[in-house]
Amino acid sequence: MHELLAPLLYVLHVDLQHLSQVQELYVDHFNDEFDGTSFSESDMVSDCSFKKTANMNRGTDSEKHFYGGAAKVSCLDKLDPDTRELFLMNDAYGAEGELGVILSEKFMEHDAYCMFDAVMSGSHGVVAMADFFSTSPAMGSGTELPPVVEASTTFYHLLHIVDSSLHNHLVELGVEPQYFALRWLRVLFGREFSLKDLLLIWDEIFSSPNHVSPSDIANDADFNLSLLCSPRGAFISAMAVSMLLHLRSSLLATEHATTCLQRLLNFPKDMSVKKLIEKAKSLQTLAFETNLSSCSPWGGTVRNKRAVRRAHSLSFDSASPRASPSSLPESYWEEKWRVLHRAEETHKTNGVSILSKIRNGSLKEKFGLFRVELDASMMETASEKKDVQSSIRHKILDNACQEGDPRVNLGEIGCNENPDISGTKESFYMDAEVGRDSPGEQADQNFMGGSSGVAEEACLSAKQLSVLCTAAGPRRMASEHDSEKSSVTSNSFVSDNDCKTGHKEELCSSNCRKKLLQDSEATSVTDVKLGQRTSSTQKHAAVLKEQRPLSGKFQWLWKFGRVSGERNLDDGKCVEQQKFSDVGGTCKDISEPLTCDGCCNSCGVSRKLEAEHKEVPGTLRSLGQSMLENIQVIESVFQQEQRQVGVADNSSSTILEAQGQVKIATALEELRKISGLLLEM
Amino acid sequence: MSYAYLFKYIIIGDTGVGKSCLLLQFTDKRFQPVHDLTIGVEFGARMITIDNKPIKLQIWDTAGQESFRSITRSYYRGAAGALLVYDITRRETFNHLANWLEDARQHANANMTIMLIGNKCDLSHRRAVSTEEGEQFAKEHGLVFMEASAKTAQNVEEAFISTAATIYKKIQDGVFDVSNESYGIKVGYGGIPGPSGGRDGTSSQAGGCCS
Repeated sequence: MHELLAPLLYVLHVDLQHLSQVQELYVDHFNDEFDGTSFSESDMVSDCSFKKTANMNRGTDSEKHFYGGAAKVSCLDKLDPDTRELFLMNDAYGAEGELGVILSEKFMEHDAYCMFDAVMSGSHGVVAMADFFSTSPAMGSGTELPPVVEASTTFYHLLHIVDSSLHNHLVELGVEPQYFALRWLRVLFGREFSLKDLLLIWDEIFSSPNHVSPSDIANDADFNLSLLCSPRGAFISAMAVSMLLHLRSSLLATEHATTCLQRLLNFPKDMSVKKLIEKAKSLQTLAFETNLSSCSPWGGTVRNKRAVRRAHSLSFDSASPRASPSSLPESYWEEKWRVLHRAEETHKTNGVSILSKIRNGSLKEKFGLFRVELDASMMETASEKKDVQSSIRHKILDNACQEGDPRVNLGEIGCNENPDISGTKESFYMDAEVGRDSPGEQADQNFMGGSSGVAEEACLSAKQLSVLCTAAGPRRMASEHDSEKSSVTSNSFVSDNDCKTGHKEELCSSNCRKKLLQDSEATSVTDVKLGQRTSSTQKHAAVLKEQRPLSGKFQWLWKFGRVSGERNLDDGKCVEQQKFSDVGGTCKDISEPLTCDGCCNSCGVSRKLEAEHKEVPGTLRSLGQSMLENIQVIESVFQQEQRQVGVADNSSSTILEAQGQVKIATALEELRKISGLLLEM
Repeated sequence: MSYAYLFKYIIIGDTGVGKSCLLLQFTDKRFQPVHDLTIGVEFGARMITIDNKPIKLQIWDTAGQESFRSITRSYYRGAAGALLVYDITRRETFNHLANWLEDARQHANANMTIMLIGNKCDLSHRRAVSTEEGEQFAKEHGLVFMEASAKTAQNVEEAFISTAATIYKKIQDGVFDVSNESYGIKVGYGGIPGPSGGRDGTSSQAGGCCS
């Protein structure tokens, strides 16, 4: 506990020291005798009236006369803001007069005690540090666990939402959260960071309110992760998860609980605490939201049941508060799975059949892969997409859903990620949203709409993973397990770096390709024989083509999102640019037009189906409008693309190009019909 | 990092007896006169060689002041060896040994090898527990006994290694079913050249580690 008190005392001490320095510097302004006088002194009043002049803000000419000669600064306003603040804080009867002297050596012990007491007791708030030292369950807690264990569980709970693969790894290793979280919590990360960094973190922690948020009071009966009820608790959890994510790759490489814990409890000192805090802030909102939507019991034992976990994750995935996980029968997900399966088939035959000419059947394999991956990737993506959200999506949701869905709030989670990646995520999320958002909640429609989203989901997570891989190197990722080096990399931070490189498009596409390659390697299950790489280079071309539809779709959907948001048209240009660079840079054999149309087709079909089930006319209209606009965008892009392609590579097969034109034309026709239909309704 | 076996150790005993210092001396070969109070549990690892076999020790260093039984109990899970430490200059730490032993016997598996260590033997001028008393206690409870000093490193290596040797002998004698990981023993890839195990090979093993 002294480790909690010490930083507080330190802060008070530093403030005082600063004050005395300033006092020395501007000695004439500080003839305040407060520290020298006792409260009982009778002449204090008269003394004070005199001291009042110290505040040069209000000093009259005659008063100034007393000090004017020696004063370096004649007016308080000329002081820098910090120093002025200090003046005011130390001026018993100045502008802040009602508060009296705030900074004084005399008060230091008292202040320290008050602060410590507030930290320990939580000042009637949610997070009371004293709880973390007690063994009995906290009052009003939904669980029977001691508070510190409950808080640790909360970390895992949040981690599971954000990064289920890491969560699963830790659970599988038997790393119980309290093993490391006990220390993190009891001294509020005091052991993990240097004092300088710690103060930054504490600053964030204590600037978050500690009271139960009003919205939580409403579902008082529902929550049982009490830590998440206050913004402060949510931030602490988010901070812990942010730390876990920072060590992600390092942790995933561990094979034993002990090794894992060793890394967790020897947190690297050389990381940027600002980034950690930024990440934590973005997770904080999510954590907060999570508590609102999580209504099912969440005990330590439950976590071992994969089924329950999946149910949880999926429910968070679709973030549907209407269908709380507990109310869903087990068969529900099976059904969804089946439908999804079917939808995928349709998707394949529908949209991608054109592609089959050039892809040598590799797509099937890919889809199989995606499906295999889905379990993990879906959860992961779900979390990732939540954490990387921007206000744009918020708007999209606003427009597209118009349901007053609490989900919309998710969109508010701050986004400091690579705009490129978040862009794709947005687009993907858009799709998923549109697909699943339909009020009917019918699995059919849901997943017809969602199927393209699923493919994307997989691809997206692939992207994310591959972002991670670019840093670690695709081979190392598979073969290294104990490398400490990778400990510092976490996908989010890597993506941050990516952002700086300014090669977003190239990176993105190459990442995607790399990942796809890796996938094909991963299917051979055991470790990566590099010889396989050569064999997979044969696939490379096919994979590349495979990548096209997906990336094409990303952009398509992105555009859709943008346009439906009815704004950011210049962003649309940005998309186009991205497309150009793609076309010019990577794709030589102009499968672009084809693939693009494939996507349009499939998406169109899915949209049509979806549309038939839509019940909210307002949503439909906006959807139709946005589709129409979307078509226009496609058209313009298409035209530009043609030009671009022509410039970049005019020798390649013009037959394909022509075919593509035809296909796109039909796709556009189709879309137009749909939008017409929609508008009629 | 290939190893023939991996043992999980746990260090227990009253607060301030020098558990963390023993660990630090063993893993880092250094002594820190002022050591932070352990919060929860801390971890260390080191490779040793017994009978020409590389053995990896994973050591859980627990907080002596922790009154939190529900948490401390889980530390024992899957531990193959335990170092029960007391401070020869503080009588009460010796008096509490019985409690610790009871705790260990209750929560750890019955075959866990327990080594009793009287730490701080460099401070013999302040001795409050005689060597004989320690030996007597160890004998009564069937423990291996040693006096050690984390400061001077006296007997520190020996304590860890002889515990490992005892466990190793138990394995050779077939006391443990090494395939059952609840005994805190894992068979590694020691001696087998080549990759120290792919991700896929180990994940299944690691699965049952502490759960």
